[in-house]
Amino acid sequence: MNSILNLSLLRKLVQIGAFVFFVYGGLVTGYYLEDKISRSLPALSCAYDHQGADLCTLIPIQHQMDHRLGEAIANGGNLMMGIMPTLITLGTFLLLFVVLNKAFCGWICPLGSFQEILQIIGQKLGLRRHESLSENLVERIRPVKWFILLLLVFAFPLLTGMGMLNHDLGDPFCRICPSRILTTLATGDSSQIYLDTANTTTIVTSLLADFLFGLMIALALTVRQPFCRICPMLAMHAVFRKIGLLRLVKNATPRCDRCGLCAKACPMDIREIHTDMESRNVTFEDCTLCGRCVEFCPDQDVLQLKYTRFPVFSSSPHYFKQRKKQQSQWQKRTLIGWFRKRSAIPGTESS
Amino acid sequence: MYRRLLAVVISASFLPLTGISFAADGESLPAEAAHNHRGGEKRIILENGEDAVITLWKPDLTTEPLTLEHGGVTLPKTGMDNYHVILAEKDWGDHKEVVIRYEYRHGPPSKQSPSRLTAQQKTEFEIVPAPIPREHYRYHSQQRWGFVVRFEGQPVGGLEVELQTSNGSHLSVTSDAEGRVEFLIPDDFPGVVKGERDRRLGQFSVSSEYHQGDRRYTTQLSADYRVSPSHWQSTRLGLLIVGFGFIAGSVIGRVKKGGDGK
Ligand code: SF4
Ligand code: SF4
Repeated sequence: MNSILNLSLLRKLVQIGAFVFFVYGGLVTGYYLEDKISRSLPALSCAYDHQGADLCTLIPIQHQMDHRLGEAIANGGNLMMGIMPTLITLGTFLLLFVVLNKAFCGWICPLGSFQEILQIIGQKLGLRRHESLSENLVERIRPVKWFILLLLVFAFPLLTGMGMLNHDLGDPFCRICPSRILTTLATGDSSQIYLDTANTTTIVTSLLADFLFGLMIALALTVRQPFCRICPMLAMHAVFRKIGLLRLVKNATPRCDRCGLCAKACPMDIREIHTDMESRNVTFEDCTLCGRCVEFCPDQDVLQLKYTRFPVFSSSPHYFKQRKKQQSQWQKRTLIGWFRKRSAIPGTESS
Repeated sequence: MYRRLLAVVISASFLPLTGISFAADGESLPAEAAHNHRGGEKRIILENGEDAVITLWKPDLTTEPLTLEHGGVTLPKTGMDNYHVILAEKDWGDHKEVVIRYEYRHGPPSKQSPSRLTAQQKTEFEIVPAPIPREHYRYHSQQRWGFVVRFEGQPVGGLEVELQTSNGSHLSVTSDAEGRVEFLIPDDFPGVVKGERDRRLGQFSVSSEYHQGDRRYTTQLSADYRVSPSHWQSTRLGLLIVGFGFIAGSVIGRVKKGGDGK
């Protein structure tokens, strides 16, 4: 391994490129929805950002549940016609998803990248950060993303289309989604931060959206990927993760028992990477295929990122040693440390 | 049976440059399975439209003639979604007048960008939205939108362009060298109540006049606009709530000394 380049750095560069492309790339691809690349991206690149290059798959799904399937059910229309747009959206989603699998989260998603940047800021500010969340807490949080997916992305919009809920619940996840606020703000548009007093539903949803956005920013300074843990896109990915061509594979050894460095490195606190002792595809439901566990596994080829059957990145003692050294140097460099050092050197105070 | 959705009638004084004019959403004849006029037929009132040549431009740039019946035209199902253009032209020999309207229609995916329709020359003298509100979006008061004035496909600078609204506002600007003008759509709906959602619809027209030799061209682009949501959406309160969220997150995420921090 080059003394500077490592998988994490490579990933950061890809994330920055993806952020710029998906938040501002509409200047190249075009302004209208028809100009966007797939309109079914497996990451939270937001439709409310008019300058974006693409939009996430959750917005068409909510609209199709509301205006197509829900209305078809309510009016006794053709159900096949009602479900067809959703099948096309899912088909497009899958075409993309198969190529990168859950790496859409770990490498592409603007909201995922933003949380990682906040994490770096927290670390550089010298804030005390949570190394890992407790097993108990992680277990309790995990089902939330499934509830959000089922209720806010599918059920509420469907019931709205069927006329059973008020019209403001036709796209409930978009109404609370932090990516809507983040990506529009990134383009200089503050119109998505608001308290909407039109009715009780809009008051509750706008309140939740703003609160969640502030909460996520503060938490991300000390906790790794706070919103990702409840993100319905992560749940969507989890459903189809076995068909993705990129995957995390483990060739367990008895030494794994006494180690556990992989689980510590995981930003999503997936302890099963460590405890799973079978040799198989270990792309767990919360995995974002960021590859940190592979980087921090000290054993040869025990963890691998594979594209179909071909290893693209494997753990090795040599890489581990260098990576660990880089990591401890990186963590030592904080603003507080820098100030302390400056004030400790005589003659530098007034310069 | 679906009834007339909106009956915004626009007074003749609203349109000084041209005789013909669109009178907003007329009535909608819906597809059986839809609440709205999704993909169904739609009727648009055209005032003084007798003898006008009326053309429907579809997103794929194919055209279809429309006929005036009982003071309006019925937009047929075209089998494709996205913006369509209704163009009415009247030629008096020494004077050609044109009114144009972009209408979003639901239907099976057209897979056509509205930029094709705006780029296409549809008549000699036209005002083109630059851009038109993106699919599923609308014009609202307090928003700034741009338009380009073109003659035979080429931008025309130095022309006076007027914006008038059905609520009585009147603005006038001169097009720049690229034929571009921008208007801040007036916040002119009367009786808007702060904090209450207002779904009223108004109409604005952007119009101009051009002379070539002895021939005079007048053109008018008409569109609906709505009340600005800023009347019931407060950014200041929104920011305050973001702040509360941030404080809550700082408290929840705080790592106590001797905890699991690093
Ligand atoms: S608000 Fe969130 S869910 Fe909706 S389009 Fe934007 S990113 Fe997707
Ligand atoms: S889980 Fe995180 S990275 Fe993945 S889509 Fe959601 S916010 Fe983005």
